[in-house]
Amino acid sequence: MADIALMATGITKYFHDPVTTPVLKNIAIDVAKGEFVSIVGKSGCGKSTLLYVLSTMDRDYEGNLEINGVKATGRSLNDLAQLRNESIGFVFQFHYLLPDFNCLKNVMIPALRLGKLSYKEVESKAYEKLKMFGVEDQALKRADKLSGGQQQRVAIARALINDPAIIMGDEPTGNLDSKNTGIVFDLFQKLTQEFHQTIITVTHDEDFARRSDRIIEMADGEIKSHGRNK
Amino acid sequence: MKVSVNTEIAVTYLSSRKKQTLVAAMGVMFGVSMFIFMQSLMKGTNDYFEKMSFNTTPHIRLYSENKVADTHMMNNYLRDSSIKILDNPKQLIQRQGIINPYGVINQIQRDTRVAAITPQVTANVIYTSGSVQLNGTVAGVNITQEDKMFDVKGNMVTGNLEDLNHVNNSVLIGKGIADKLSLHTGDNITVGTGTGTPIVMRVIGIYSSGVKQVDETKSYTNITEAQNLLGKDRSYVTDIKINLKDYNAAPDVAPELETITGYKAEDWVQANSTLKTAFKIRAMILNSVVGVILLVAGFGIYNILNMTIYEKIKEIAILKAIGFSGASVISIFLQQAIYIGIMGGIIGVFFGFLTSYGFSKLYIGGSAPVGGTLNYIPMSFYMPHYVEAIVFGILTTIAAGYFPARKASRVDPVTIIRG
Repeated sequence: MADIALMATGITKYFHDPVTTPVLKNIAIDVAKGEFVSIVGKSGCGKSTLLYVLSTMDRDYEGNLEINGVKATGRSLNDLAQLRNESIGFVFQFHYLLPDFNCLKNVMIPALRLGKLSYKEVESKAYEKLKMFGVEDQALKRADKLSGGQQQRVAIARALINDPAIIMGDEPTGNLDSKNTGIVFDLFQKLTQEFHQTIITVTHDEDFARRSDRIIEMADGEIKSHGRNK
Repeated sequence: MKVSVNTEIAVTYLSSRKKQTLVAAMGVMFGVSMFIFMQSLMKGTNDYFEKMSFNTTPHIRLYSENKVADTHMMNNYLRDSSIKILDNPKQLIQRQGIINPYGVINQIQRDTRVAAITPQVTANVIYTSGSVQLNGTVAGVNITQEDKMFDVKGNMVTGNLEDLNHVNNSVLIGKGIADKLSLHTGDNITVGTGTGTPIVMRVIGIYSSGVKQVDETKSYTNITEAQNLLGKDRSYVTDIKINLKDYNAAPDVAPELETITGYKAEDWVQANSTLKTAFKIRAMILNSVVGVILLVAGFGIYNILNMTIYEKIKEIAILKAIGFSGASVISIFLQQAIYIGIMGGIIGVFFGFLTSYGFSKLYIGGSAPVGGTLNYIPMSFYMPHYVEAIVFGILTTIAAGYFPARKASRVDPVTIIRG
């Protein structure tokens, strides 16, 4: 098999409030580098929960998680923050930009945090990313002055700024119209094919899912189908 | 680089809520400026009273004191190692005055810490003018040296100080004595002690020290006149007055002099123990007021940052999701507190200086409560107060900012983002 970007085995997670109920049951998943994977399933099947476990933000689970061949389970909060900063880009259902900053700054912040490039380099790179999504003319506007679709595109640009190995999206196109969804999808595809970045998205958009490399179907906290036979 | 991102975010947060930032900074500003004002006023007043007390009290006064009988004579006589117990010891009369005073003065003068030294003959006297009598003391001094040490000239109401050196049987009396006995410069007054014969002396001047008790009893004369008054010889000296270069060293120097000379050396702190106690109590009152002000300012900052964190909780979650560690989040919010502190501190220093300066120009001498020497509110402009104020101001903000910042660092991104 090709290089593994992400591998999870035996992921089990419980919700404790109000009563202890299992939400993820012994899930095993592996995603190759450059793969574009969609996770689909009914609401409440645990697909978002799984995504947050895979993103390393949620540490309250049993099982084992490896990202880029490095074990992520049991590492310290700071290590994980560093890991997310460097190798995971996140796109949320709602844009979640920082409203006090302009769009350019919003895109720049993760790269400045990483600190590998100079301020100037980060700035030009951020412009580049904004251009990819056609929002470069909004760069100097405050984030809360943009329309919802524009904000979402800026948020995706932010997820890409550090050229992360894995991009995770929780309904990344949930707030976009079909035209913008198309733009985003094409871009994601380009990222996987040309730059070998891995994309894992949770989506309700069947059309979006169908066009991705692989569909993982979930139901009741278990994986129904790994969708390998495409 | 890492620091600069946090700083950039902190500064953006502060500048996007200018009003709140300003209010928080104002709290610190008031704390800092009050601190400076209070400290300046306190030090100014204390310095003033210290200076006042040095107008009449030397830094160290050396004099002969009666001692309680001890066993050393018995030891000298018996020359054995037995333990002597003296039952019911009594005060022994010492020879009044200091033996070989000029020898002692020469010796003390060699100490580099000593700035000025002068002998004095103190005599308890009765002033008589017409049929009215008044108790008091005459200080026989070398008036030139006395003036150098205590600025007698500055207290002169009428007459010329120097006349004391060349007018025979001359006396410089306090304003209180002059009022009570209705005396003017050039009048005569009879001064008598218990031991010598009364002498008719000429009033060559009147002074006012501002201390009523002194002005109503004390007068100056030449040292030889005082010796004449008491019927004593020229080597009779009751006190040696010493001023040091640094008056704060007096409590350390005095015991040394006591050991060297064998006489009682009383430093100004002992002599003015009530003054010192008053200083201490005043310091306590003012410090607690300032402490409360800074505390209130601290709560203000705590509140504002806490509110900010509730407002920004989603953004904190995002920052953590995109890779900001807990320490970075603490740094972002603590920096906001520190900038508020620095801003408030700097404005507070200016404001504190202006307030102090304004008050120092406030005329309060109208009713002349203390001899008219205190015309303006005494204020000291003492650099360390300003530094302390900024340091305390910033420390308060750090303490107030730390807890909200820590709370922010503990935000769990998953629960916030998933709602």
